[in-house]
Amino acid sequence: MTGTRRSPITGAFTVAGLVFLWAPLLLVFLFSFHSTGSLTFPFEGFSTRWYDEVFSSGVIRSAAENSLIVATSTALLTLLLGTLAAYGLTRSSSRLRGPLSLLFFLPITLPGLFVGVALLVAFTRVEFSLSLLTVTIAHLVYVFPFFFLVARAALERLDPALEETAADLGASRWTVFRRVTLPQVWPVLVGAACLAFALSFDEFVITFFVIGPDSTLPMYIWSSLRRTIDPSINAISSLLLAFTMLLFVVTFLLTVWSERRRRGRSLAEDPLVLTGPREGTA
Amino acid sequence: MKAPPRVGPLVLTAPAVAGLLVFFIAPLLAFAVYSFLTGSLYDVKAPLTVENYKEVFETDINRTLGRNSLVVGLLAALFSVLIALPMAYWLRYSAGRWRGLVLFLIVASFLASYLVRIFAWRTMLGRNGAINRGLESIGLIDEPLDFLLYNRFAVTVALVHIFLPYVVLVLYAGLAPLQPSYLETAQDLGAGRVQRWRRVVLPLVAAPAVSAFLFVFVLSAADYVTPQLLGGTSGGMLGVQVQVAFIGTGDFAYGAALAFAMLAGFVVCYALIALGLRLTKLDKVRFAT
Repeated sequence: MTGTRRSPITGAFTVAGLVFLWAPLLLVFLFSFHSTGSLTFPFEGFSTRWYDEVFSSGVIRSAAENSLIVATSTALLTLLLGTLAAYGLTRSSSRLRGPLSLLFFLPITLPGLFVGVALLVAFTRVEFSLSLLTVTIAHLVYVFPFFFLVARAALERLDPALEETAADLGASRWTVFRRVTLPQVWPVLVGAACLAFALSFDEFVITFFVIGPDSTLPMYIWSSLRRTIDPSINAISSLLLAFTMLLFVVTFLLTVWSERRRRGRSLAEDPLVLTGPREGTA
Repeated sequence: MKAPPRVGPLVLTAPAVAGLLVFFIAPLLAFAVYSFLTGSLYDVKAPLTVENYKEVFETDINRTLGRNSLVVGLLAALFSVLIALPMAYWLRYSAGRWRGLVLFLIVASFLASYLVRIFAWRTMLGRNGAINRGLESIGLIDEPLDFLLYNRFAVTVALVHIFLPYVVLVLYAGLAPLQPSYLETAQDLGAGRVQRWRRVVLPLVAAPAVSAFLFVFVLSAADYVTPQLLGGTSGGMLGVQVQVAFIGTGDFAYGAALAFAMLAGFVVCYALIALGLRLTKLDKVRFAT
């Protein structure tokens, strides 16, 4: 363990950077409790009226429901497709691994604008009408690389000896996956699915092009930002922030917990640990 | 002994591969073809032509907006990297017990909603926004500053805000191989603060910094939301024109050509920077761990 170096200049930059990152967000949070519609100081008093407005608005509720539907479908489908893809890729030694990794990574490198218009063109061409389904498809393309990168890293960190031993002892591939691989990585996979959910829930840039007549929460925020400023935007934004933070904390805790479990397990050199009772698996 | 390559498990990737081919690669290819077809309302028809590209380059407004995209993209990328560099350094070598908390705050702000962050800057920079009111209350200005919002400056600030956390994380990861003891060694050998940065820290983070720079540049220059919400009349960008072509005027062929011209521009930038890294040999800098 090396001591920390004193570096007041970079420390000052860090403080300034954190203020820059958080001041605008905290301001939004503060004004979501403002008793008047004014978005400027002086702050005239606390009130939850904007939250009441948000919760009683049918338009916002249906937009939020749509967002939930899309984000849940996206997260579950990504969990399935991404886990299959990452497991298949890490457990094969084919020469196709490189090109396939590139394909799985590629959507990250392209600005959402291009993905959005390309999908709009494709859907229009084959006369596939725009709906929440097309939004979900677009979101799958968008979040897949994020999930894949996390899942692949988790699967590559596993000790291959465990899977090999199980296979040598006669377990089928499916059993190896279910009883050996999955118990070790599921927290990371669920965490990555939470990340996929958060990314999808907040996605606007691509959604805008492929949504058709429906609305999602970001679409609602966009349309009210285009009109005059509606103070309840602060309340929606704060709720959205709180929700994303919650997802992030869940992801974070799952990852930390999984890492602790992994370290604990690799310390136990005794191969009998495999046959012993396994904790934490339902 | 060399085991034969295992192909079997690769079958599991099939659904994802099929999905990406159908919903990502094929649409992009179709999109490329569109840019060479003759446009008609919300559709395209034969024959093949380069008219769309001609129109893209001959329209004056595109030149202005293209310059805006370039300037905003470059400035957003430059400032993101310049601010992130000391932050990453501090996190790696000076944070001590604060590291966890500061990393948490940075990642958490990264996940904050994109639209919310743009909106937040409108309340910060507006005529009656927090910055103007703050400066007034401490007596620095008498009149609100009008140049904060609805121009390229506002767009750049919001984009730096959006991408800064990402750049900090990339540079922080880039510094991981550089043990604090190396810096101490450099110090013991007589390297001053400037020399340690120039000879040890910067060569190591050059490659990640350049890749983060490119990422921020491309995503900023292609943004169509921030310029519309914060750019006003002078801060428009090319992405908005693409959006208008597809959603507003319905001129798919022209929009496709414009988008591909932008993409080509990005590829050129990427090639130039990769070449620069290779010529300066900065892409080869490694530290043993």
